[in-house]
Amino acid sequence: MRRKKYLFVFCMLAAIAASCGMFAKLYAGFRGSGGGLRVVTSFYPVYIAALNVAGEDGTVSLENLSEPQTGCLHDYQLTPGDMELLSQADLFLVNGGGIESFLADVGEAYPALNVVRVSEGLELLDSEGAQADEGAAEELEGKNAHCWMDTELYAQMVWNIADALSEADESHAQGYRENARRYCGKIGGLTSQIEEIRKEVLRKGSRTSVILLHEAFAYTAAQCGFGTAYCINLDEERQLGAGEVAEAIKAAESDGVSAVFAERQYGEAMAGTLEAEAGCSVYYLDSLVRGEYRADSYLSGMQENIDSIKAAWEEMR
Amino acid sequence: MGLSWMQYDFMRYAFAAVLVITPLFGLMGTMVVSRKMAFFSDALGHSALTGIAVGVVCGVRDTDVSMVIFAIVFALLLNRISSRIAASADTVISVFSSCSIAVGLAILSKDGNFSRYSGILVGDVLSITRREILYLVLIFVITLAFWLFGFNKMLAASLNRALAKSRNIPVAFLENAFAVLTALVVMVSIKWVGILIINALLILPAAASQNISENMREYHFFSILFSMFSGVTGLVLSYYVNVAAGPAIVILASAIYFATYLWGSR
Repeated sequence: MRRKKYLFVFCMLAAIAASCGMFAKLYAGFRGSGGGLRVVTSFYPVYIAALNVAGEDGTVSLENLSEPQTGCLHDYQLTPGDMELLSQADLFLVNGGGIESFLADVGEAYPALNVVRVSEGLELLDSEGAQADEGAAEELEGKNAHCWMDTELYAQMVWNIADALSEADESHAQGYRENARRYCGKIGGLTSQIEEIRKEVLRKGSRTSVILLHEAFAYTAAQCGFGTAYCINLDEERQLGAGEVAEAIKAAESDGVSAVFAERQYGEAMAGTLEAEAGCSVYYLDSLVRGEYRADSYLSGMQENIDSIKAAWEEMR
Repeated sequence: MGLSWMQYDFMRYAFAAVLVITPLFGLMGTMVVSRKMAFFSDALGHSALTGIAVGVVCGVRDTDVSMVIFAIVFALLLNRISSRIAASADTVISVFSSCSIAVGLAILSKDGNFSRYSGILVGDVLSITRREILYLVLIFVITLAFWLFGFNKMLAASLNRALAKSRNIPVAFLENAFAVLTALVVMVSIKWVGILIINALLILPAAASQNISENMREYHFFSILFSMFSGVTGLVLSYYVNVAAGPAIVILASAIYFATYLWGSR
């Protein structure tokens, strides 16, 4: 009987180990198995920008660290698979500004890895009050890092990526710069639409403030010339207190705010409250941190944002 | 595939931690299960949040220290109150546990920033450092010594407290020492295993072992074997499948539990 039991335990453990081995074998495989320069981006907006600069001809093997539906990376935790991916990368492109709080871990594990902050040299807005994440440089404390939401700043990020790729792979530098120039031309089309709105907003001058329910929209609002009456950063990581809701309603009423810019996924409940309590109209924008891996996703996403802002402006003026 | 996971420091640290901690979980789990303390150790795991919160409020630089101190105080307090209040032990533990979690959540979620601490719920294998492994080895040695000298007395106390007292066994001291050791083991492992499932690591191997064991020696042997097997295999699996290590280990330990349950209930 005892021998049978020990045999059972042995067979059970062997079966579990074999199943794990088969499962791991099915799942495993380096994500960035292509040839050429191996580039890893930290999250979606950086990946899309890099995809446009790198092109899709296989010169660059481009991989994104997080999943396309992860969103912002403020509290992202690196997985063993991420560490393996980074260990094989030639270049790691990150947004910077404190969004990637895990950079200190990466620096410690791979001191030789070439990490490029694509928002380097850009003038970032102040944050809505939250401190920058652990690991962010001191000068970035209290800064809003969602700079891709300003099309002009985004174009500069694209050029920073082109410079980084050119430096890492000089033989294809011309191609990268040509891709960046072409992509920035398309971004320029969006910028000129925003400029049109901005001119009209500045002409009107008063009662042009809006309430923002995501910190990322501060860049879009500022580029369009809107003032910010109140801003709450409602994303996947933020819980709302009752006091803040009351403050936002008070700000909407005292500043005569008629428009709220919110993100549908996280701001809908709060936007509905402002609509009911303060009579504001809600316009949904996209913070462009999630989507499909399509080269034109930023362009189409920002175009939809601009269309919403135009509708908001029609009602405000 | 092979041993490619061993080329990274963080995996080597995690492997070393698993080799030290899983025998401890297996060993202590036998007593936790025998003494019906599963809820106690669960509450202890949840108290980690409050320990961190207390550290944040007091401005402690290293919140791990406040977490461990709080857990020890919490465990001793629970022991004391449970033995004095007429209500059943699970009611007292539930009251303490809920209160402690509420205080921790209230402090840590102030200004909507709980997400900064949410990582501890599921654990992070990268959080294991050399220092933590040294602590684990130290706790391992202390626990082993405690087991060698105190196990029979603990067992006697768990079977019949009054009888053990009449034989001059320091029951209260042993119970408190065991509670403190459990608190230490849980707190040192919680950052990489995660609050939500740390208790499973303590309970499952011992519970699985109980399904098939016929004597105390077998009970210990199988519990340690299942704990180490699920720990090592789960860690390696988590590397290849790219999931958190804690859940992978617990899934394997659960599979072992169900298989032994079927065998035991024949």
